[in-house]
Amino acid sequence: MPKCTINGVEVEVAQGKTIIEAMTENAQRIAHYCWHPGLSIAGVCRLCMVEIEGNPRVQIACNTVVTEGMKINNTSEKVKEAVKWGLDFHLINHPLDCPICDQAGECGLQDQYMEYGKYNPEMAEKKQKKHKVVDLGPTVVLDSERCILCSRCVRFTDEVSKTNELGIFNRGDHAEIGTHDGKKLDNKYSLNTVDICPVGALTSKDFRFKQRVWYLKDSTTVCNGCSTGCSVKVYYNKEGVFRVKPKYNPDVNGHWMCDEGRDTYKFVNKDIRLLKGQKYEGGKWHTEMHAGAAAKDAYLALKGAKPEEIAVVFTGQQTVEEYEALVSTFVNTYKTKNIFHWVNNKESFESFDGLLIRGDKNPNTKGLLQVLEKNGINNSWKNLEEGLKSGKIKDLVVFGPENLIVFPELKQMLSLFTTAKHLIYFSTANLTDLRSYSGSNQVTMVPMKTYIEKSGTFVNFQGKAQKFDKVTTIVSEALSGQEVAQLLSGSEVSITTVPDKKLFLDEHKRADQVTLEHRKKNEFVFNRGRL
Amino acid sequence: MASATETKYLTEFYHLPEFKGIDGYKKNGGYKDLEKALKMQPQAIIDEVKASGLRGRGGAGFSTGMKWGFLPKNNEPRYLLCNADEGEPGTFKDRMMMEKAPHQLIEGMIISAFAINSKKSYIYVRGEYDDSINSLLNAIQEAYKAGYLGKNILGSGFDHDMDVYRGAGAYICGEETGMISSLEGLKGQPKLKPPFPAVQGYLRKPTIVNNVETLAVVKYVIRDGAAHYRKFGTEKSAGTKLFSLSGNIVKPGNYEVPLAYPLKDMIYGLGGGFKQGRKLKAVIPGGSSAPVLTAEESERALLDYETLAQMGTMLGSGAIIVIDDSQCMVECLGNLTHFYHHESCGQCTPCREGTGWLDKVVHSILAGKGRMQDIELLIKVADNMKGKTICALSDAAALPVLSFVTKFRDEFEYFVREGKSKVKGTAYKGNPNAEMHH
Repeated sequence: MPKCTINGVEVEVAQGKTIIEAMTENAQRIAHYCWHPGLSIAGVCRLCMVEIEGNPRVQIACNTVVTEGMKINNTSEKVKEAVKWGLDFHLINHPLDCPICDQAGECGLQDQYMEYGKYNPEMAEKKQKKHKVVDLGPTVVLDSERCILCSRCVRFTDEVSKTNELGIFNRGDHAEIGTHDGKKLDNKYSLNTVDICPVGALTSKDFRFKQRVWYLKDSTTVCNGCSTGCSVKVYYNKEGVFRVKPKYNPDVNGHWMCDEGRDTYKFVNKDIRLLKGQKYEGGKWHTEMHAGAAAKDAYLALKGAKPEEIAVVFTGQQTVEEYEALVSTFVNTYKTKNIFHWVNNKESFESFDGLLIRGDKNPNTKGLLQVLEKNGINNSWKNLEEGLKSGKIKDLVVFGPENLIVFPELKQMLSLFTTAKHLIYFSTANLTDLRSYSGSNQVTMVPMKTYIEKSGTFVNFQGKAQKFDKVTTIVSEALSGQEVAQLLSGSEVSITTVPDKKLFLDEHKRADQVTLEHRKKNEFVFNRGRL
Repeated sequence: MASATETKYLTEFYHLPEFKGIDGYKKNGGYKDLEKALKMQPQAIIDEVKASGLRGRGGAGFSTGMKWGFLPKNNEPRYLLCNADEGEPGTFKDRMMMEKAPHQLIEGMIISAFAINSKKSYIYVRGEYDDSINSLLNAIQEAYKAGYLGKNILGSGFDHDMDVYRGAGAYICGEETGMISSLEGLKGQPKLKPPFPAVQGYLRKPTIVNNVETLAVVKYVIRDGAAHYRKFGTEKSAGTKLFSLSGNIVKPGNYEVPLAYPLKDMIYGLGGGFKQGRKLKAVIPGGSSAPVLTAEESERALLDYETLAQMGTMLGSGAIIVIDDSQCMVECLGNLTHFYHHESCGQCTPCREGTGWLDKVVHSILAGKGRMQDIELLIKVADNMKGKTICALSDAAALPVLSFVTKFRDEFEYFVREGKSKVKGTAYKGNPNAEMHH
């Protein structure tokens, strides 16, 4: 383990580490664009300059291995001058379109300019013209003029996704990123190229022009898109959630996440959510009611039923804490062990693409199975179907999925569930297929919280329990599993509902408000940390 | 200066058309030295080359024996690559060698390959060199037929195969790691060092890259011994060297002289001086990347590595571009900046953006739109491109700018002030547009 001195601080680093790794691991700031800890070393941006004692020339930190006794410095005037010029070379042909650029606010060029630049530009010549608004594929748009040719995206498609769609065409200052003739950037990890793009060259078709990033806050949670359970950052504000990006987690997802996982936010925003309790009885849908009242209705119905008349269905989409509370309620209060596991995507359940995507599209199948096992429950789905058919099961309680896309058989299942005399459906989504029900049975729908709105634990495919905290509230009435468990056991739960209009007044100040203070602190720069 | 003569050591038989074919080559001593070398210990050949003081003739002037010594001492497969991508503007010596004496190069390569125990070599030839490529292909075939290439060469137990690879016209592929990338089928871009090619080069195997002239010299070092080779030139710049003389000169061409030959003898003696009424203004002594010398400096310059380095320039590939007093230095620089703008591979930011910036500024001066601060700006930009990139192209683009602007500042200032050339008295007649078209 060689010891070295970085800006006067002595540190010990693992054998074979480069200077830039040593610096980032020891919380030293260093300018860089092309270096990315998850990719090979390109050494082309020439920005991570450091001075090494005994060497008259400044060196790049990304391709220099730390040796014993090395004295490294990146705060000297010589280094600052080198970085300033390195930055200037990046900027001379870069368009000054920050006001209309989606990357503004989290742009590597802006960040570094504020730190190392702030000079009067001397470039008086015409800027290089390149292609604008290049449609690279279904997810990504390219602006070649903004591109600084750091080659991160090219290396990503070569080394990580191994799909090799991207390349740098032409040479010199007329070089451009592109795809081969007729090919598209189309793979299941394509949006990682947008994350690692240090500038606004690659932008996400889904996110671009939706929000200015300085009006967004981010919080960490666990992706609920599949059983891998990637650590993610969710970007949100009072209008809802706008995007999901990966957060570095060496044990699970490394630096990356899949494109499907980024779509999970689409199931949490208000437009598709069930906002209120709903009740269908006597051949018609009644006026909506408070979520708590709907849950209370369910309680009253279940209280009158015999244990064998009750059946419960879970998906692998709730948290461990919810499963524990709910299973214990049914086992102890209602004395029933008629609890079933709804397995989606049966054919591809065990598949794995070799990188991150798993066929089990639930974040917590392992967690559910663990809780069921603990309670000695292992029921065959057939028993549920037969019980419904024979009419033995009268009250069916279903905790439905959040992520609807991964439940392609949802519609078919709903028609099975509605054969029960009374279906009590706990749902995050306002299911139109269920809301259009017009049969003779009874249906109660109770709005539930999504993974964004609650704290809890998911157990991923490895058996790794990952705790996460609530990010924000989107539907204020929605219930968590624990609250449902309490309501179903007959306890009172106080649920505060704040009218939307008052949500953002001082007395109801919420965590998801981006204040001027946040923006003044420019916390995005520091949240981004390493580009 | 009628006394100026060439020292025809490598080029002794170049006047004989038969020297190109294997029979004519053998008649004049060809492949004798290969026979001799195959009986030697490989290490003895390396030691002999080291002792000869031979330095790379491609431009960098690094000791050839020392370069070979960097190879790992194991049995890992290794490659010998001949750099025949002669792209440095002003250089045309390798072309003559390949066209007139392909077997000389091939023999030198087989000896070198034997010394470093390489079973496979490639000659990476500049794409435009049709005649060189045909000449080499033909000569390699002849050598295979005669048993100088292939399995068990001359019964020595040494196997060696040789191939020609045709470049596609990029200057950067003459940089050794750029050449390796290109040979690997990748975009011709220099690789990050370390690792150096001697440790990890072509196909990630140890690789030696040498210039055409360097490899040809190896044959003569074996023939006559290191001591004889050292009789030419100086202690640190031993041997003879081929110089490509071009520009405003009466007798341009390739000339072989011992190192430390006076530049003025080259110009006025071998080169036949200038057209009537013209006189010397400047000389670029080592290919377009070398800083320019003024007339006064040229008078006292000696053509060896040390003297030229002391004068702030370099011997480079040995391309001497002579500029007479009818030339406008701003225009000359515009020509050079355009070249580097066009040839930067675009990997490293300072070079990619800097070459374009320099070119645009010089051309804005040529277009009569220059500002006085542009002259200082050229120096600043060039200064900050130097030593900041993976390969030396950035330096190669910066050095001429720095030398032209500092040594001929009056011409630049005049052009900015008057909007026309101080020498020609007219505005620039070429295309003053520095933008690249693609």
